[in-house]
Amino acid sequence: MARIVVDPVTRIEGHLRIEAQVDGGAVSDAWSSGTMFRGIELILRGRDPREAWIWAQRICGVCTTVHALTSVRAVEDALGVEVPENARIIRNIIAGTQHVQDHVIHFYHLHALDWVDVTLALKADPGKTSQLAESISDWPKSSKNYFKAIQDRLKALVASKQLSLFSSGYWGHPAYHLPPEANLLAVAHYLEALEFQREFIRIHAVLGGKNPHLQTYLVGGMSTAMDPNEPQATINPERITFLSELASKAQEFVDKVYIPDVLAVASFYPDWFGRGENLGNFLSYGCFPQGSIKDPTRLFLPRGIIMNRDLSKVHPFDPANVTEYVTHSWYNYSDGDQKAKHPFEGETNPKYTGPKPPFEHLEVEQKYSWLKSPRYQDQPMEVGPLSRMLVAYASGHQEVKDLVNAALGKLNAQPTALFSTLGRIAARAIEAQLLARHVSKWVDELGANLAHGDLRIHNGEKWDPDTWPREAKGFGFHEAPRGALAHWVQIEDKKIKNYQCVVPTTWNAGPRDANGKRGAYETSLLKTPIADPERPVEILRTIHSFDPCLACAVHVVDAQGRKYRVLKAS
Amino acid sequence: MSAPRAASTVVLGLGNVIHSDDGAGVHAVQRLKETPDLPQDIDLIEGGTLGLSLLPYLWDAVRIVVLDAVDVGQPPGTIVRLSGDEIRSLRGSVSVHLVGLADLLGALQLVANPTQEITLLGVQPASTEWGTELSQEVQAAIPQLVRAARELLCRWSQPLEQAAG
Repeated sequence: MARIVVDPVTRIEGHLRIEAQVDGGAVSDAWSSGTMFRGIELILRGRDPREAWIWAQRICGVCTTVHALTSVRAVEDALGVEVPENARIIRNIIAGTQHVQDHVIHFYHLHALDWVDVTLALKADPGKTSQLAESISDWPKSSKNYFKAIQDRLKALVASKQLSLFSSGYWGHPAYHLPPEANLLAVAHYLEALEFQREFIRIHAVLGGKNPHLQTYLVGGMSTAMDPNEPQATINPERITFLSELASKAQEFVDKVYIPDVLAVASFYPDWFGRGENLGNFLSYGCFPQGSIKDPTRLFLPRGIIMNRDLSKVHPFDPANVTEYVTHSWYNYSDGDQKAKHPFEGETNPKYTGPKPPFEHLEVEQKYSWLKSPRYQDQPMEVGPLSRMLVAYASGHQEVKDLVNAALGKLNAQPTALFSTLGRIAARAIEAQLLARHVSKWVDELGANLAHGDLRIHNGEKWDPDTWPREAKGFGFHEAPRGALAHWVQIEDKKIKNYQCVVPTTWNAGPRDANGKRGAYETSLLKTPIADPERPVEILRTIHSFDPCLACAVHVVDAQGRKYRVLKAS
Repeated sequence: MSAPRAASTVVLGLGNVIHSDDGAGVHAVQRLKETPDLPQDIDLIEGGTLGLSLLPYLWDAVRIVVLDAVDVGQPPGTIVRLSGDEIRSLRGSVSVHLVGLADLLGALQLVANPTQEITLLGVQPASTEWGTELSQEVQAAIPQLVRAARELLCRWSQPLEQAAG
């Protein structure tokens, strides 16, 4: 019996730590710990609610836009503001773009190296790699010379010892099963994905301003200028054409590179359709409103709950049923830590009681995480692309059903295979495929409105705080790329009185609750075989399949022990 | 403004402004934007903690200045300079969500970016706890950091023969 510690899971110190008990070559129990205090709630208290999104978007390093969107929605919900149709569409385009971009980056740049042995790519035959590429897709970059050039570049990098991006893999581990040619193909597409993101993210530059943090949100709509006759306006016919072109290219990349690669990699790892299985409880708030956000039936990705793997029934979702425990979290509730609280009654009173670092093991019988434990009707839930696709599938969403069935058909797998590590990866790719198509459609809708002279983009009725009630509270939701995201805001005397965020990774990575029920990560690791406890790539495969995001955090460059020059004050 | 096409010189401010001194690089780049007489055609980017997502902004950059909080074990507010391989050898990370600076630079190499010069101007933080204000020490050091960045940019903008002399 051995205790494996993976910390940090993302190789960033102080964010996510997994402790796993290994018995007879498999995980017998696991604990997930967020090791970084998240105090955004304390920062927002007392501020103007119209500015909350500017701070909220800094909660997370990469998910900036999802927090901005959720924050303006929470305040709009509190104040009873409906946004104009153009603002709704632009928000869908921005968020849809974010999903596609994020899913591609996740697969190629975070997750692929858990499955792809880069060092084996050096041994690949470029001619056979070309044959493999052409057998799975008609993507044009597939010649023998192309793969030879990629391999030469990789060789040069290895020779120069500047392979820092790839330095973390467990190269040569027996759990890697891809033939050399598939590894080379994946490396080529790793590089192409970098180029893909460079082009595709220009959609955000058009709609959100040049700064990487989008600047155009407003409570009540957007600040993006629309004018059919103004060459300087952000949205004019020329820009619509430009956005359409970018969206079409993204669709082609997802259809011809991302999807075939996921299916090809999955076909070499069939065991992983039976591993990483989770609670069987899936939650989706739904997102991408096609009409008023107050009408859940108009959400493009449906809202709902699946319990106990039962795809025959989708339960309705009610935000009143969301609660959070702190029984095993480093917080105190004023009336005791055994009972869960709804976010409107939520408290953020940090109290660290864990061992003093550096330490060997967490005190898992006591408190062991900076994450709270969210529950729905007192049950742990999984959130993310798999939850969204399953809720859509079970709700009879025809387009999702067709895409899921097509992927399962190629893999010769049943829908129950989706309850797994590979299921999460496949669902993410399928969602990217779905949303890449719909970004194109939303751009067309925006273009049609522009052509018809509908230029309204901001509803300023409730902009003036004198129009607000003395007290108000609101629920803002979005499905971020990595899962259900919600902000709860309470406004009193024109200021924020309380603000609580329940983020996707808290749902998935949270610790046990007062009843001892494990969170999603903790459950999904049970029974995972571990070939080599010193190199637990199997744990990373499942945890990374959730797309963990605990980067709500600090970014100090650690240069201790490095050469540097001190500049004297002049 | 339609696209994040990188200019040949890019100033990248890194860090999270809700973690007090962690955001020093972003504060500095904001201050630099207000500085008169900056050389033309420089992109000033508030990079936050966006990691690999910043790649498009650096894609074509020939010269890069990174402004960031750097833990070098010096007294808070100390300004330090690292360049070239000193930066590339900093600890990397595989997380795309908080990808290390070294990884961002590694990715630049993979995409055959033409960077010839890269300098990191850093400030030793006092605190990276939650908060939107800089510590007194780091606040006091920001003008020096901005001045150092401006001097570097001016030097880079001179014709080569002058810079050599």
